[in-house]
Order: sequence, then structure tokens, then C-alpha cells
Amino acid sequence: MAFSNGAESLLSPPRDEEHLVLDRTPSSYNPLLTFNLAKGEKKHYQQQYADMYFARLAQLKPAVEQIAGDAWEDFEVAGETVSKVERVLDVRQGQLCWVVGTIYMEMPLKPNILDDITKDHWIVAPPPRVKFISPSGGDQVMLEDESGRLRLTGSFLPSILLVTGCIVAVLGTENANGDFEVLDLKVPDLPRQPERWERDDGEAALNSKAVKQERTQAGKIAVVSGLGISGDAGDALTLDMLMEYLLGESTSPKDQEQAARISRLIIAGNSLASASPIPGREEAAAKKSGHRKYGYDSSAYNAAPTGHLDVLLSTLLPSIPITLLPGESDPTQTTLPQQPIHPAMFSHSRAYMTLPEQEETGWFDSVTNPWEGDVDGWRLLGTGGQPVDDVFKYVEGDDRLEMMEAMLRWRLCAPTAPDTLFSYPFQDGDPFVIADCPHVYFVGNQPRFDTTVVEGPTGQSVRMIAVPKFRQTGELVLLDAETLEAEVVRFEVFGGD
Amino acid sequence: MAQDYTEWLAINVLNDQQLVSYRSLSRALKVHSNLAKQMLFDFHRKQNAKKPGTVHATYLITGTKRKATPITDGTQSQEHGEDTVMQSSPLLPSSSAAKPEEEDVDTILLQTVMLVKEEHLEKAQVTFESITGMHIYSLQANGLGDIQALTECNRKIAVDYASEDPLEIWKQYGTIQNPNVKRRTQRRQPPPPAPAPAKDAAPKAKLVSTTSKPAVLKKEGSKDSQDSKPASKPTSAKATPEPSKKPPMNKRQGSDIFKSFAKGKTKAQAAQESQESVVSTPKAAPEDEPMGGFSDEDEADEVEAAVVEDDSTVVNGKSKKDREAELQAMMNQEDEVMEDAAEDSPEIAEPDADEGAIDKPDSQAADEPKETVQVENGRIRGRRRVMRKKTVKDEDGYLVTKEEAAWESFSEDEPAPKKIKVPPTTSMNKPAAAAAGKKSAKPGQGNIMSFFSKK
Repeated sequence: MAFSNGAESLLSPPRDEEHLVLDRTPSSYNPLLTFNLAKGEKKHYQQQYADMYFARLAQLKPAVEQIAGDAWEDFEVAGETVSKVERVLDVRQGQLCWVVGTIYMEMPLKPNILDDITKDHWIVAPPPRVKFISPSGGDQVMLEDESGRLRLTGSFLPSILLVTGCIVAVLGTENANGDFEVLDLKVPDLPRQPERWERDDGEAALNSKAVKQERTQAGKIAVVSGLGISGDAGDALTLDMLMEYLLGESTSPKDQEQAARISRLIIAGNSLASASPIPGREEAAAKKSGHRKYGYDSSAYNAAPTGHLDVLLSTLLPSIPITLLPGESDPTQTTLPQQPIHPAMFSHSRAYMTLPEQEETGWFDSVTNPWEGDVDGWRLLGTGGQPVDDVFKYVEGDDRLEMMEAMLRWRLCAPTAPDTLFSYPFQDGDPFVIADCPHVYFVGNQPRFDTTVVEGPTGQSVRMIAVPKFRQTGELVLLDAETLEAEVVRFEVFGGD
Repeated sequence: MAQDYTEWLAINVLNDQQLVSYRSLSRALKVHSNLAKQMLFDFHRKQNAKKPGTVHATYLITGTKRKATPITDGTQSQEHGEDTVMQSSPLLPSSSAAKPEEEDVDTILLQTVMLVKEEHLEKAQVTFESITGMHIYSLQANGLGDIQALTECNRKIAVDYASEDPLEIWKQYGTIQNPNVKRRTQRRQPPPPAPAPAKDAAPKAKLVSTTSKPAVLKKEGSKDSQDSKPASKPTSAKATPEPSKKPPMNKRQGSDIFKSFAKGKTKAQAAQESQESVVSTPKAAPEDEPMGGFSDEDEADEVEAAVVEDDSTVVNGKSKKDREAELQAMMNQEDEVMEDAAEDSPEIAEPDADEGAIDKPDSQAADEPKETVQVENGRIRGRRRVMRKKTVKDEDGYLVTKEEAAWESFSEDEPAPKKIKVPPTTSMNKPAAAAAGKKSAKPGQGNIMSFFSKK
């Protein structure tokens, strides 16, 4: 165990030295409103979900066709050249062809409306499943487009990651059973990646302002998720340690200098442990009404966690700007895209947010989940974890990074919406399609920290980060905004043994 | 200054047996946090030199730990290793086995910040490979039983020093300053932090803070807090709760109680009743509906809340006077429609439709003045005449629907406020009706009880 220089400077009586007050590195911030929905009455739920699939197919078909066309142009099997087929139903038996469509996974263990009916008739409902994969191969993979559906088979399939909703091009032929035997499969792969500062420079150029060449050295971006604040004591101490570290009050002067380089904090979901969940049918019937005072039942609603979160945020805000994404257990809707947590929840931190009618972004930005934006010039794409957790249920294995990479290559940040992931019925287009390749893709509330870099066909490179739950691991991820490298700071309390 | 902190620490740690962290010390003596840490160290050493074991400390160690719990299976080096670059294969085989060849190369810098009690300090230091910083976190007189008790220090700081403006005062504590902070001044102050987070205290604090406005309400402040207690008893036996609807309703209810009552506790009581009945009937709707219904209404409510918050001072002042005048007029009138209010409200499926039955006392408020229009904040708002339908029970027991003119306040910005202003006006009118009802129906004791027992 080695002590660094100056590590023990605070283990000494007070001397007449000057204690510096540090200044934080500024953060350049320019969020996008890709996932913001219209408010109030302008949001409709009358439309069908099928439109989302059609829109998705229309948006991604050109890209897949290009890649597939390039790859399979001169492909030959047993002297037969491959031809492109426009619609899924145009596939003829015995003809070698390739076609583009949407994947649909037929899995008997997926959540089914019939399970709800079972609950009505039988007392015990089937337990929720960790994975939807049926053990005996009851799962089927189908390719679908506006014309129809085609069942896919072949030994090639089990080797690839597929979930409902991804747009692919398959090469193969129809066999005697009417199933399409797959020989090869292509995905859209990563989209075009903007340059760093592209959007900021573009906006400045449009406004005829001089494009800034001089930019200060960017600092670090702190990402944390799964704070899991509930009313009970639990891990409040690690939260306090996190807060003091970010404020630059705890640790030695040298570490404080490091902390002063953190320019922004992004909280990626699940800040609250439970958002006063709406009780299920049985629970609501069984529970007798609690004592109602001031018009609400105090035993059903506990305001302490929100208050605690608010105090935590308002302590951090004077020093560091915060972007808050909602998560599965946060007080906003359960359907994706989750809308920003309302300022009404933050009575103290509200002062740092902008009013609804103001155009500029606030110091404290409560944003949607998923979220896209520019921080320090880099394009960031992040979610609170629900899409990846849902993809996890479809595939074998536990490698979250693999699933995240697959989602990037499918160009979908939530491929299983609206099949098993609740979503808003978009009509005009699917915003879950990743239009610009991000530089950083972070996903919150994952079981472990993990990170890697993914490369694309035209030189794109994406840093993927799986952010662990703070409540369980006590880990804070620091992303260096100049080099895009990740490091971790872990807060813990010594167990004593 | 050297004497101050020794004295202060002696009093707080030894005499009062309190838990003092470096943050509490820095706030109390208004010094830099690093200086506070040094003060704690000095005090700890001196006291233990005099009498060993009098003062116990907890330490905060920062550094890199040994390879006990690696992030990846890489070597624990200080420099960043090469990150693997995933091959650009379109789809990866979905194997659950770890990929050993990549993990050797990955190294992620992992720093640990660890809080440790004095007695475990040696053991903790051993787990670290290199330590970049160590200082005293807190002092206490006896041993620290549960280390989680340290959260109490920060909680106390949040409460005791809540009035300090962070942007001005925190510089002296050594917090990292940010010159780009944007903060706007609020018209309405956030509710003061209640030291004992009793849930009664929270709505009471809100009620108390709203009384800081018009002077008329001040004398009612203490009265209402007592009124709410007996009011809550009859309401306890009422409909099933709806947690997600409570918070926005509660806030509006709090302010409406103030706005609407002039005297008499029945108004507050009846206000609660009416809110409960309005709230209970949507629950009768199928279970699946509340999901969509809540989000829309709550959203609309909250949009209104944001709007109301900014302009509340002005709106409150104007309409409060009007409503007070209304209530006075209602006091002096006979009331024959109190029972109708009770019967009609359960029939109503949604709060929006309430305006039919419940707004009938509106017609009795004959001294609504003229139609006024004001331009404020770019919005046109004021009072205007609107035709409303009133359903009234005749002496024969027939329901008669009449169209009558009524006054309502409007704002031209969004249609949402019009929709939302209806529940406040309905709850405002119900207590008025109930109050008038009580006055006139005093001889008929049975009528009053039937009104309440229906809920």
C-alpha cells in the first residue's frame, strides 16, 4: 500500500495555508427533443401500433437494401444467381432470392393477454418469466412486411441475435414446407456518425455567427443510474458520499481537483425506488382503504423519497449541471418514450429548471427516456435500461454489451417496442430508429459496469457503456469527454471483518 | 481561531455527545471543508493524547484497491490499457460464455472512496494498493454503532442551513464553484423543510405558507388547521383511496379551502367531502381506464399547476374577493338545492361533468359584478358570462334542467385551463352550498345528516 504525495496533507493540524476554492470545468450542452411527445390533448392513443412497424420498415428498408445489394450482388449457389424480391409473399419455392422485412419472434412464453384471463379464473397466476425462450424450441422466427409473413428456418438462425422488430435482409430459398431457409442475413448496421461539434457549428453557421474555433478543454461526464431512493435508510450513506465527492468537499485536494473536472452529471433512470405504484386489480380489492387525511391516504403515498431526491439534487445543482432521465420506477409514464419528470416533483430544484415557455435549456434538465443530445460536442444516446432489459428476455446469454451492440447495428434503440415493451403508438415515424450514430451510447440500471468501443463500416466508433445500479454497486462512471474513455469511482463503506 | 474550533468541538462532541462530520464543522464555523478536516484531526489527536479513547473517528480513504474485486479480469494498473475494439461483424454469436481473450486487455481505472471506522482503519488500508487521499470524516464521543447514522449529519445540515443561498455562501465551504449556474427567482417559496417529516406537517406547512398572502386569510390559518382535524374523521370512512390522484388534488384542496371559506368549519368539512365524492366516483370506472385517464388529467392538472404557480398571487387576490362576496350573499339566502348537490354528485362519472349539478349555487351568487377582461403576461383573462345547465329537484321530486347564466373566470391561452378550472370552481361552490344549506336547514336536522351520510 503506497501513499501518494499529498495524500496525508489533511491528516495534520490546521496550518496557515490557503485552501483553494476550485472552479468547475464548464459543460457545453445541446439536447435534442427527439423523444418529447405532445402534451395534453394533442397526444392521441387512437391509432394502431401496426403503423409503427410500417414506418420503421419504410425508414430502414433503403439502408438494408443497399447493404444487402452490395454484399450479394454476385452471390451464386450451385450456379444460380440471387435475385431481389420486393415483397415477402413474392418468394417462390426453389428460387434463390433475398428479401427485406421485419423480424417477428413467435414465442409462446411471451406475456400474453390470455394470462390475464387465466388470472381471473385461477387464483395462481403464472409467475413472470426471466426469459421468453421456450426450452423445447417452441419459438419460431418469422419475417414480415406489409404483404405477409414468412417463417424462417435454417441452421444459420440460432447463431444470430434476433428480436421482434428488427429490420433485416435475408438470403435463401423457400423449401418444400413453405418455410424460408436462411443462408445469410444482413442488418442496416451503424448509421452515419456526425462529427464532433457538428450540430453546434451548424447552428452557429445558420445563425451567421462566427464558428468558434477555440473551445476549452472538455472535462468529464459523470453517469450514474439506479440511485433507488426509497424512504428507508438503506444506502443513504453512499448517496451522501457521492454527493460530497461531486461537490468537491470530501477527499484530498488532489482528488478534489479531479472532481472539479467533472462538468456534468447524467442520472440514467430509477432515481426513486418506487413511484407509488398503481396497485393491481387484486391488491386494490383486497386492501381496505387507509385512513384518509387531507384528502389522500398517507399509507399509500409516501412523499419522503421524492423529497430526499429533491434535496440531493438541489444540493448538487449549485455546483454541477444535471440531466435527469426517468427510469422504470420513476414517477412518469411506463410507456416509452417516458416523458420528463415534472418539475412539480422538485420543489427546491425547480429554481434551476426553465419555465415551460422558455426556449433555452435549463441548468437542471429533466429529459425523456430514451434521450439524445450533444454534450461537449459529442452525440450521446442513452436510455434508462428498459429496452436492453427487454431484449435480454428474448435472447440466451447475459452479455449486455452484445445486446447493446446489436441494437446499434439494427439502428433501433428499442427494437421490441411495441411488442413486449410498452410504447406510444407513433403514427408518422418511429423515433426509436437511430438516425445519427451516437459517439456514446449509455444504458442505465444494468447489473454490472461494462464498456467497450464498437466500430462501424464507414469509420464510426461508438463508446458503449452499461451503467450499473448505484444502489447495489455504489459505482459512478466517469467519461472523459476528450478521449471518450471510461473510468469508475466506487463508493463503499467498509464492512469490517 | 485555533481556540474556537477546539472549544466548539469540545462542546459538541464531548459534552453533547453529538456526531460531528467535517461538513457540520465547516458550516458551523464557516470555514473551508479541508480546513475543517484538519481541525478534526487536530482535535482527535489532542484529545486522545490526553485521555485515550475519548474521541472516535471515521476516516475517508480514496485510492485504488488491490485486485480483490476487479471490474474486468484485467491487471490492476494505473494507466489505461488498450480497450478492445470489437470486430465489425454484423451479428455476434449469442453465447453466454465469457470471452477471455478480450478481457485480458481491458483495464478500467477504478477508484474507490471508502468510509471506514477507526477500529478497522488498518485492515482497510491493507486492501488498498495505493492511497491518494485520506482524512477524517467525522468524530463522535463513543464508538459509532451503526455507520449509517452518519447520514444524520447531512440531514441536519440540510435543515439547519436551508436558508443559506448556495450560490453566495457555499464558496467559503470549499464547494466547487460553477460560474455558469443559471437559477431563476421563484415567486412562491418551496415548502420549508419539516424537521420531523410527519405527513401532517407537510400539508400544514403548505397551508401555512399560503396564508402569508392576503391578510384576511391569516386569521383563518389557525382555525383551519384545527378544522381539518375534525374534518378528517368523517372522511376516514369514505371511498377507497387513489394515490396517484391525491398529490395534485391535495395541493389544490389546500388552497381552495383557504380561498373558499369565510367562516364556519362545515365549509372545510364539506370541501373535503366534495373532493372525496368527486374523487371516489372516477374510481368506479373500470380498472384499466385510470391508467390513461390519470396521465391525461394529471398532466393537464400539472400544466395548470405550473401556470397557476406563476400568476397565483394575482388571480388569488382578485377572485378571492369575488368569492367572499358571493359567499356573503349566499349566507343571507334561502337554500333549497342542498340535497340535490348530494344526490347528483354520485351520478357523475367524471369530474368534468360536475359542472352541471354542482354549479347551480353559482346562479345564486347574484352579485357577480361585471364582465372584466384583463391582459396579463400576454394572456387575456377575466370573468365572463357563460350559459350553464342546472339540474334542480322540484318540490314534487322532479328533476328540472334549466339553463342559467353563470360567471366564470377564463384565460385565453390554452383550452386546458378552462377544463381544469372547473374542479376548483366546483369544490369552491360545494362548500358554499353546504354552508348555506346548514344555515337554512337547521330546523330540519335530518336533512343535514343525509347530505353527509351519502358519501
